[in-house]
Amino acid sequence: MISLNQVTKSFAGTNAVHDVSFSVSQGAFLVLLGPSGCGKSTMLRMLAGLEQPTGGQIRFGDTLVADGGSGFTIPPAKRDTGLVFQSYALWPHMTVAGNIEWPLKVAKLSNDERRARIKEAMEMLGIAQLANRYPGEVSGGQQQRVALARMIAPRPNVMLFDEPLSNLDATLRVEMRVELLRVHAATGATSVYVTHDQVEAMTMATHVAVMNRGRIEQFDAPERLLAEPASAFVAGFVGTPPANLIPIADGKWFGAIADPSLPGLRGYAMVRAEEIAVTDEPGPRTLQVRLAEIVPMAGRRLVTGIVNDIRITAIADGAARLPLGLRFRLPDAPAAFFDTEGNRIS
Amino acid sequence: MTLPLRRRGQLFASHGLTLAMALILFALVAAPLITIAIQTLQPSSGAQAWGDVLASRLSPNLFWRPAANTMLIGLSVAAGCVLLGGFLAWLVVMTDVPGRAAIGFMATLPFMIPSFATALAWGSVFRNGRVGGGGGLLEGLGFAIPDWLSWGILPTILVLIAHYYALAFTVIAAALAAVNGDLIEAAQMTGASRKRILFGIVLPVVTPAIIAGGSLAFAGAVSNFAAPALLGLPVRMQTLSTRLFGMIEIGQTERGFVLAILLICISAVFLGIGNRILSGRRSFATIGGKGAKPRRFALGGGKSLLAVLAWSICFLTTVLPIFLLLAASFAPSSLALFSNWTLHYWIGTSDPAFARGQPGIFHNPQLISALTTTLTLGVVVAFTANLLGILIAVALTRHKVPVLSSLVSQLSFLPMLLPGIAFAAAYIALYGAPIGPLPALYGTKLLLALALTAAMLPFAVQTGRATVAQISGDIDEAARMTGAGFFRRLRAITIPLAARGLVAGLLISFVNIIGDLAITILLFTPTSPLLAVLSYSYASDGFHQFANAVTLVILVISMFATGAATLLRGRRRENIA
Ligand SMILES: Nc1ncnc2c1ncn2[C@@H]1O[C@H](COP(=O)(O)OP(=O)(O)O)[C@@H](O)[C@H]1O
Ligand SMILES: [Mg+2]
Repeated sequence: MISLNQVTKSFAGTNAVHDVSFSVSQGAFLVLLGPSGCGKSTMLRMLAGLEQPTGGQIRFGDTLVADGGSGFTIPPAKRDTGLVFQSYALWPHMTVAGNIEWPLKVAKLSNDERRARIKEAMEMLGIAQLANRYPGEVSGGQQQRVALARMIAPRPNVMLFDEPLSNLDATLRVEMRVELLRVHAATGATSVYVTHDQVEAMTMATHVAVMNRGRIEQFDAPERLLAEPASAFVAGFVGTPPANLIPIADGKWFGAIADPSLPGLRGYAMVRAEEIAVTDEPGPRTLQVRLAEIVPMAGRRLVTGIVNDIRITAIADGAARLPLGLRFRLPDAPAAFFDTEGNRIS
Repeated sequence: MTLPLRRRGQLFASHGLTLAMALILFALVAAPLITIAIQTLQPSSGAQAWGDVLASRLSPNLFWRPAANTMLIGLSVAAGCVLLGGFLAWLVVMTDVPGRAAIGFMATLPFMIPSFATALAWGSVFRNGRVGGGGGLLEGLGFAIPDWLSWGILPTILVLIAHYYALAFTVIAAALAAVNGDLIEAAQMTGASRKRILFGIVLPVVTPAIIAGGSLAFAGAVSNFAAPALLGLPVRMQTLSTRLFGMIEIGQTERGFVLAILLICISAVFLGIGNRILSGRRSFATIGGKGAKPRRFALGGGKSLLAVLAWSICFLTTVLPIFLLLAASFAPSSLALFSNWTLHYWIGTSDPAFARGQPGIFHNPQLISALTTTLTLGVVVAFTANLLGILIAVALTRHKVPVLSSLVSQLSFLPMLLPGIAFAAAYIALYGAPIGPLPALYGTKLLLALALTAAMLPFAVQTGRATVAQISGDIDEAARMTGAGFFRRLRAITIPLAARGLVAGLLISFVNIIGDLAITILLFTPTSPLLAVLSYSYASDGFHQFANAVTLVILVISMFATGAATLLRGRRRENIA
């Protein structure tokens, strides 16, 4: 189990991570999701022990591993954690087997034990045939597997990943997602996985912490993020495609189309793409849009139109021809409503 | 009329340029080397000289002992430079030592101070009176300085380390700065101690740079002339370069040529070994990837001690030698550097009671002539070498011709591997006698200029390549679409875009030329010597104050040029620190 209590990290006065608290149970797969620069890596590095929090406590199980208030910290190697770097950080002067072996040597494991662990890790990742190659002599996807093997060989209780798939091409990325989940299941360790790709979060996580500007916007199961986004930021960040956020002023859509279901409200209405109908007839809550693009997807089409400089995406069935004068019909009531600060109101 | 002309121009631009460069390089680099080899292979005189040098009663003195000294100096200097340069590079790049940027800057300076300046400064402190010319500062304070500290191999080694460690520092610091911070953090995660990370991860990863830095220092040390000449010759310690100089000076040119070839071979063998080690290992390929943030170790307790150590090294190898030279150029007695200061050695008129009637350097007509000769030569050679450098770079990148291009590339790099004094000997071999209708060039400024140009080529081509690389092919092609000719494109597009780097390159070549002694000592014109040669001859005649004053003149000019180059380059310093 990992639990954080009001963890804060500031660099020279500015907070990279601000007042973060959550806990996940043993064996969970937690994804830290957020845009670049939101503090994900800093969070992960505090869990690894490479960075010391300036406030709050981090506990692994019942053990306190870092306390920002007192400056107490347990060094990285004593935390029973493993970290996979975005750059893989393979040591270029050691062979694949050498890379996996070095941490075991540092941990003073016996010769036999080391050999067994190396074999086990390489077989789990399917790289046994690469044992005597150097990192510079294997492909990017294989380097990724070597980095994983090196991380799991000491059998850490907590596995940490910092955007491990971001240097791979799209096909390999999908393949490695499956591989990572397999390793996670086989080891039974708790995983914390950092990414800016919401698809990775949605497909891999048992829990997702959506981060923005150093804070956690929402901590939930992936499907709950879609069903009940806690803020406009989350609603606009997750989902394929993410939900539309339509500005509301004086109870009117776009400040123009009055609607009794929005009594005098100001803020943003969340409307999912599947709730918008594509039509060519004028009608209530129906607006003329300028076509921006059409993306075919699983036999249907994502139709994006522009209204008042705002992009709105709807879903149309595959077969029907798109009308010439394109119109979107909004639903009777928005699925959620956020105030101007982005906080959920209803 | 215009059409054939243009077509000829296009042809010239595509093949002629490479061919012209190949011919120039042949004359400047290959021909002298071929000639020196042929001359020593003449059945009668050549074989005789090889026999004398390698297997005769004389050969221990002629070759074996100097060769042993040379090797000892080369290996010690390489080791010392790697240790010193590596230590400073580690401090500057990998730790939080105070004043990192300044240390990083200072550590690159010693290479800009000519090695004879450091050697003279050593003498001003550690000299003993044994060989005449008076003792140095320490003897003046009442210490008895043993010979091994005053003269010979140890002072030579130390002075050369103080000169060449800057080279090792630059190479190793660049390599350390490129080490991905993640590599080290990945090691920290395992719980490895700091020492284990340094020796298990950091050092192996930068081994290529360590080998490269060591090879460069070795090559520099074995070919250096000034330090062993000033510190070794007074006690008859000979290296191959001083021996070679001596042979040519007393007219035994054949023997000198043989020694030159042997010196080239020794240098080449070691550079070759270094290269072999580097290219033979699969493990040195670096792997890219994002996230290369540098990470610094906190030094903790030893911080101030290490900082003091680093600052002392920088101070001892840059500021102190210059300061000592300055003091010694004012002090009538070399035993008391800080008393009875006088400006006589700078601006005094001839006085029979003072310095055996020698006037101050600014009243010495020789100095004025040496100053103008040196500056003119420096400017002319710097321009010529860099112009050739650009043309060669253009030929190599834009107009690839099979075989010829690789020949041009290798010939232009070759002088880098050749000890300067041996290269100068090769010039004597080729141009010392008339070639057909051409007169003998030995003793003319033209010969000196040609040899220095050739010696500067590797650096100039490097500058040229950087210049050409800065201007992508697209930009040049866009200009070509307008129909602008080759030289017009060079003038209107290439040169303006690359002016800063180019001027910095020019200034650095200039500094290297005016500080050179290894080539000039063999090829200078007796009627109008150069500053470096003048300083050397003052020193070998025992007029240390004058030697110091002349050296300071060179240093001041060098410092202005280096400072200007540093300003122009701007970013270079930050790259390291
Ligand atoms: N060592 C550091 N020193 C100063 N600022 C830092 C440091 N590391 C991260 N930051 C800052 O903290 C913020 C969060 O960085 P990071 O955790 O790397 O973001 P992410 O991984 O989500 O892209 C950024 O604004 C970054 O500039
Ligand atoms: Mg990051």
